[in-house]
Formats: sequence, C-alpha cells, structure tokens
Amino acid sequence: MAAVSPQPGGIDLRESSGWRRTKNQIATVVMWSAFALVLIPLVWVLFTVIQKGASAISWQFLTGSPIPPNVMPLSFPGGMWPAILGTLEITGFAAVIAIPLGVLGAVYINEYGGNGWLARLIAFMADVMTGVPSIVMGLFIYTVWTLHYSYSGMAGSFALACLMLPIVIRSTYEMLLLVPDELRQASYALGATKARVTLTVVLPAAVGGITSGALLAVARAAGETAPLLFVILSTQNTNANLFAGANTALSTQIFANAQSPYVGAQARAWGAALTLIVIAFILMLGARLITARFTRYTR
Amino acid sequence: MQLRGSKQAMVAGGAALAALALAACSSSSSSSSSSAPAASTGASTAASSSAPVSGTINAAGSTFQTNFQQAAIQGFKATQPGVTVNYGGGGSGAGRTALYSSTVLFAGSDSPIPAKEASKVPAGKTVLYFPVQIGPIALAYNLSGVTGLKLDATVLAGIFQGTIKTWNDPAIKALNPSASLPSTAITPVVRSDSSGTTANFSQYLVDAAGSAWKLGTASTISFPASAHAANGGSGVAQAIKATSGSIGYVDFSTASASGLSAASIKNSAGDFVAPSPTSAAAAASQVTPKANLTFLAVDQAGAGSYPVTYQSWDLVYAQQPSANDAALLKAYLGYLLGAGQQLLTPLNLAPLPSAIDQAAVAQLSKITAAS
Amino acid sequence: MSTVTKADPATPAGSARPLSAGRRLGDRGFALLALAAGLLVLVILVLITLSTAQQSANWFSTEGFSGIFSTVWDVQNNKFGPMAFLFGTVISSLIAIIIAVPVSVSIALLLTEVVPRRWSRPIVYLMDLLAVVPSVVWGLWGLIVLVPWLQNTVYSTLSSWFNGVPVLGNLFGPPFSGTSFMTAGIVLAVMITPIITSLAREVLATVPTTDKEGAYALGATRWEMIRGAVWPHSQGGVVGAILVGLGRAMGETIAAALLIGSVPQVTSHLFAPGYSIPAGIANLFPEASGEFRSALIGMGLLLFVITILVNLGARGFVTRSTRRNKGTA
Repeated sequence: MAAVSPQPGGIDLRESSGWRRTKNQIATVVMWSAFALVLIPLVWVLFTVIQKGASAISWQFLTGSPIPPNVMPLSFPGGMWPAILGTLEITGFAAVIAIPLGVLGAVYINEYGGNGWLARLIAFMADVMTGVPSIVMGLFIYTVWTLHYSYSGMAGSFALACLMLPIVIRSTYEMLLLVPDELRQASYALGATKARVTLTVVLPAAVGGITSGALLAVARAAGETAPLLFVILSTQNTNANLFAGANTALSTQIFANAQSPYVGAQARAWGAALTLIVIAFILMLGARLITARFTRYTR
Repeated sequence: MQLRGSKQAMVAGGAALAALALAACSSSSSSSSSSAPAASTGASTAASSSAPVSGTINAAGSTFQTNFQQAAIQGFKATQPGVTVNYGGGGSGAGRTALYSSTVLFAGSDSPIPAKEASKVPAGKTVLYFPVQIGPIALAYNLSGVTGLKLDATVLAGIFQGTIKTWNDPAIKALNPSASLPSTAITPVVRSDSSGTTANFSQYLVDAAGSAWKLGTASTISFPASAHAANGGSGVAQAIKATSGSIGYVDFSTASASGLSAASIKNSAGDFVAPSPTSAAAAASQVTPKANLTFLAVDQAGAGSYPVTYQSWDLVYAQQPSANDAALLKAYLGYLLGAGQQLLTPLNLAPLPSAIDQAAVAQLSKITAAS
Repeated sequence: MSTVTKADPATPAGSARPLSAGRRLGDRGFALLALAAGLLVLVILVLITLSTAQQSANWFSTEGFSGIFSTVWDVQNNKFGPMAFLFGTVISSLIAIIIAVPVSVSIALLLTEVVPRRWSRPIVYLMDLLAVVPSVVWGLWGLIVLVPWLQNTVYSTLSSWFNGVPVLGNLFGPPFSGTSFMTAGIVLAVMITPIITSLAREVLATVPTTDKEGAYALGATRWEMIRGAVWPHSQGGVVGAILVGLGRAMGETIAAALLIGSVPQVTSHLFAPGYSIPAGIANLFPEASGEFRSALIGMGLLLFVITILVNLGARGFVTRSTRRNKGTA
C-alpha cells in the first residue's frame, strides 16, 4: 500500500515512526519475557516435585503409617496417612468454621451495614487482616488455646480459620456487590424480610462466586504450615479425633522432613509435597470449574 | 467460552487424579514390614508392666530424643496395643513449658530444669528425671583427602574461638603428624538456635580445655563472627556437607546419617577415641549420677570413653492426678528403660549403663496416683 | 357466579399484612448473627494484639524502649535486640519487591492490554497454579534444589567478580552462602508475584475504555497508550497492589525459615546469611523460654504492627484509585 501523504492540517495516519514502533516492540517483548521468567520457577518446582515425589508415592505411602527414619527399607519410605488425614480433617473443620462466618460477615457489611461506620470499619479491618503474618495467627492460638487446653487438631483448625476468615469475607463481599439491586428490590416488593431476601435470593445468586472464593481460601489453608507449627504437636500416629489429642498435617511433615538428614526423610518430604500440591490443585480447579459453570454474575 | 474453561478445568483435574493414582499403583509397593525391628520383649529388667493398659500419652520436647521415641513408639505398640503415644519434638524448652502447664504427660529434655524455670513447676509437684539415652556428639568435618582426623580440647577451643584459622596450623599438625593437611581456611559451623548439643559441647570445652576456652557454657553461645551458624543439628550437618574445610559439632546419629566423617577426640586418659555407641556407653559407665539421676557424661575417665557425650531425660511429675495416667507412664517409661534400650544402637545412640538403668527403673515406683 | 373469590389486583397478595411476630424475630435473629460474624473480625484482631502484648510485656519491660532498637542478639547474656531480625525482614522483602514488581506489572499489563480475552485464560490458569503452590513446597524445593545451585554456581562466581569493587563489592562480594537474604528474596519474589499480578489486574481493569480508545485514535502505539492513558489512572492502585505484596513478603514464614540462613546479623552483603522475624520465631520458639520467648513474641507483635500499617497504606492507595475511576467507565 502506497504511503499516504498527510492531509494539510490533518492527522498523520501513517504508521508510527521507527523509534516509536521500536519502543512499542521492546515493551511487548519485555512483557512477554516477564511472563516467561515467571514460568521458569513454576515449571522447575512442579517438575522437581513430580519427578522426586512420584517415586515416593505408592499405595502404601498414601495409606500407611510412618516408620522411624533410621529404619527404612529403601522401597518404602514410610507412610503419610496420618498426615493426609490430619490435613483433610484440620482444613475441613477450619472451612466449616470460617466459611459460614465469613459469608455472614460479608452479608453484614454489604446488606445490613449500609454506609455505617461499623460496616466500613469491619470491611477495612477484614482487608487488613488478610495481611497478618500466619505465624502471628499460630502464636495467638498457641497462647490463648494450646497453653490451656493442650494440643489438638481443633486448635490447628482455629488457627487456619483465623487465616481463612478475612479471605472468605473479602471474596464473598465482592460477589455480593455484583448481584444486581433489582433482584433485591423485587423481592422486597413481594414482601419478603431482609433475612429471607438474603438467604433465598441474594446468596443463591452469588453462590457460584462465593463457593469458588471459599475453595481458593481452603486451598491456601491446606498448604499453610506456620499456624500449625506450635499448636498440633506433630505426631506419628493416626488420630481421627479432631478434638482431642495431637495431630499432624502434610505441611508440618514436609517442614520437619525437609530439615532432616535421614535418607528416607527427603523422599517422604517430596512425596508429601506432591500429595499436598495435588490436593491444592484439585481445590483450585474446583474453584475455576464452579466459576465457569455456576457464576451468574461476573464483572 | 465458559464451557471451554470448565472443560479445560475438568480435564486438568482428571489428569491430576489419574497421575496420582497411576504413580501410586505403578510404584513398586513391595510389601515390607512397616514396623521397626521387633524389639525383643521381656529380655531386660522387669519393669515393663505386663497388665494391658489403654489410653493416650502426649509428650514433647528434645529433638535429640525424637528418633528414639519414634522407634520406641512403634515397638511399644506390639506390647501394649491399647496405648497411643504421641511424641511431638519441638525442643527441650517447649517440652518443659508444656510440662509446666500439664499439656503433656512427660517432657524430653537434654538438660535438667534450669534455675530460672524452677518457679514454674506447680506447687506440690516434684519432677522426676528418667535418663533414657546417651549419645556421642561428633566433631564432623569436611576436608577432602583427610580421614581419621585427631583433635583435642585445646585445639577445638582454638578452632571455635577463631584463633586457629587454617587446617595446616602447627597445633593440628602436631596431633596428626602423618596426615597431609591443606592450607584451606577452617570454617567452624555452630548452632544458631538454643540447644542441648551446644550446652554439652561447651561444657566439655570448659572441663577439658580449661582457660583456653573463654566463651563459657550455655545452650546458646556467642561464637565469633567467623563461625557459620546453622539452625538445628541437621542444618549444621547440611552446612558442613556443603562447605569444604568446615568442621562443626553435631550429634553423631545426624552426622553419620549425613555421611560425614567425625574426628577422634583425645579423652582424659590420653587416648584418641572415635565417636560410636560403644565409646559413648563406655563414657557413661564411668558416671555416678546424683540422687535425682541427673548427671553429665562429658570428659569422663576411662580408656575407651568418648569425651563429648551427652544425655537426655524424660521429665515426669511424681504426683499424677489419675491412676490410669500413672499406669500408662509406668508402662511406657518401663519399656523405654527396658526392651526399648535395644533400639538405641541401630540409631547410633548408646544405651544406658546398667547401674543407671536399674536406678531409673527403681525410680518408676515413685510415680503415684493422687486418688 | 362462582364461589371462588378472585384476588383483587389492587391488593398485593399477602404483603399488606403486618409481619407475624415469628418472622420479625427470625429477621432480627439473622441480622444479629450477621453482625456477630462481622464483629468477630474486630474481636480477633483485638485479641491478637492483647495476647501478644501481654506475652511480650516481660521483654518490653526488661529491655526498655532503647533495647527495642538494639541490634545486639546475645541469648547467652539475655540480650534480645530485634533489629537484626527486622533488618533481614526488610532486606529480603525489598529484594522480593524489586524482582517481583516489574515482572508482575508486566504480566498484568500483558493480560489487560496485550492478550486477547480468549487467550488470557491459560495465562490466568498458570498464575493460579503459581499461587496455589504451598509455601512449604517452595521452601523444600528452594532448600534442596536452588540453594546448592546458587551457592556453587551463581554466588561463588558473582562474589569473586565483585570482590574488591568499591560499592558493589559491599553488596555482592563475599561472604556468601546458599541460604542468604538473596535466596530468600528470590523465592519470596516468586511467591508474591501472583498476588501483585491479580490485584494490579483488577486495578488496570477499572481504567475507562474511552481514554484508551482515545489514545489509540490519536495514533498512539500500545506502549504510548499504556504510559499515557492507563498509567495515570492506575498508578495509585498499582502502588497499593505492590504494598500488599510487600506485606505478604514480610510475613512469609516457612520459605524464609528454610532459606534465609538463620544467622541474626546486620550486613550489607546480600549473599550472606541473615534472619527474618517470622523465620526467627518459627525456628527459635520451640527451644525458647522465659525472656527469650517473650522477646520472640514481642518481635511477632512488632511485625504484626508493621504489616498492618503496610496493609492500611495499601488499601488506602487502592480505594483512592478505584474510587476515582468508578463512574467514569
């Protein structure tokens, strides 16, 4: 196409000059290389975990009990079942505590609080609470609970619930904002009370987003180590009872085994890491699936 | 577009589950005895209660004891299947704190209760010390081409205070005339966290090096800045492994599990002894414990004694609120002091000398129930 | 005439009746429940502050105000100056921010401006994947894979190059160690990238399309459009996103505990080992007792206050920026 000479006094419609175009291309290259750069550790870590963890994983690993570190037939590094059960139970109970409370909290901020100072304060503080270091949550539960009531999986759940609560509040709040007001107004017009509107109209409308936000919070909690370090007393036994007695979790086991010099320890750590990543990954996929299928209102 | 996303998600999720299942099934899962080598029951002193008990024992404390406790828990299950024992590690300090607040039934501790904690023991309660294991502290080093390194307390004091800086220092050469020592700089590796290993190693230097060692003895020592600090015994072992020309103090079972060479140390009889369960046991057999069964096994006399040996106790309240707890403790501690002692040598630890063991077993009767 | 009475359209069915007492009670009950759940957040924050303050009172009263600012960490002699730990926290987080910010903002721009919507999904999935890897797995991988490689290949060559160089030698020269401020900073950077990216994306999405299209209409290249139309609107929000990432990096415990070197010291050498507050608490708490323990909890309180301030600042920036953009879409 022949170059169009600029109209007198008009806009220059030609392609941008060399230097501007180069700058643009450099910028694009930089942006893509940033993405490539961030992929390097991701691929590296996943590759390492899968490669080293897969050789440790076996049916016995997933369902068996641990064996002492020095006594290790090389084909079987010891089982992780107590840790897997612990992670599932502790995280599950934390979710049972945090999700309803988080949803209710967001309901308060969005539906009941209006523009009042209390609602805005709670919203602000919930955001601030997402930034509290996880070790501080663990110390908190240690001082107020473990020192008085001894170690238990439940204490771990409390610590994780404290971590999850602000995340669930924030994501639920965002989802509730997206539900159109017309829906609420129509329900009020039919004579429903506020509680009924919230429970039967607003929440179901936002349930997709709320669930996916909750699943992501659970995925984050399943991987947390610091809050559990001081409150559950990592044990080697399977403890199905969440409310009494020491318990253990995959994350704390990985932390302990990572620092242990015994031959089996490293294999155990990688196997546990792979298991933990798969659990977190499934939760994350579940969240994405629900967002794709069930979310009615998106940005 | 939305369906595409969810389809991608489902495919990815299915793939992840399939991969995990595949890995689980295809990995050789040769059925192996997953329990510790079966401890021969009944072989030792008669403290192991034969009446079946049931319940849970929560315990925490010294990480030095963790391996032994884990092996013992497995072995104990064979004799008393109704008892669940949870030993959480966490360090001697954490164990003692848990004992003071009665959140555990016994605490593993590498040192007796320090004076500043004495007020924390509840009124009316006495703490009983049950020694359970002895172990050598190895001086592990990483120096290619040199094996069988010999050192003594004065040289060690110089190394860890930074006055002896290279491997071919005349003081080291004097102890190792036939070794070819390079001119590499020495990197001492020390513990950055509070630990019984540091306490016992420094106690040895105080006893054996005398005025040459100026840094005193404590669970945490301010080593000179040239020392490389690491967290935990395994941190020290990893640091030694990674740094050529380094030497550090770490418990022998960790050192041997990490594949490190350990130096032979000159004991008070003038012999250079290598760390091993036997030499540690030899040192321990020279010890006369106090009435409450606390003692220090460092720098003991005797030809085969390894001079840097340390010990760990399980601390229990003599007065137990419930009869079942008292019975559980007697059963488990009795196992640790009896059949369990045979689990120590494979772990590169040393069993208690029989005199101390018998005294400890006799002390079991002091555990009483308040009812 | 049928006996069935048809509803009178002028009377809305049922709603003119006053609410029965039960329904009113249920409504009040639910409202109270929601209020209680909301207040729980405040209660927890207050309890955390109170309990940590009470446990660290021993340390505060012994050290006094000046002791808080001391760098002397000497457990043997009961000196617990936290500044070395704070220094390590700040340095490793700064390293993380310096590495993560250009990368995250670039990816956020990539997703909002460069990549067409249907292709953005795989990139978002990958960033999600990055976010979902637990911190303990990053620590494990870092310790076993990254640390030996960095120590033997990267740090040894770099520190020998910079050895003796006037200013840079102090930063990059020896001593070096695989576990160091730099290693912790690198892994922290990888961990905070997804957070900054997703928050920055949200902020960038609020930029009014009219401004962007106007820039294109004037003949701007994409880069010029970003600089001229997107950036002025979103800079506050992006700064807020960066501060959230900073807060996360400062509070990260496990990866730092495994990778930062566990030596409390203040030094300019970035390849040297150091310590951070959360790592110190995680590693030292078990063996600590008495004033030592109180000091560790006090450091935790210090960190708590600092991260709250950072997050307050962050939220301030973000809300200010998005509020300006609302209603202009």
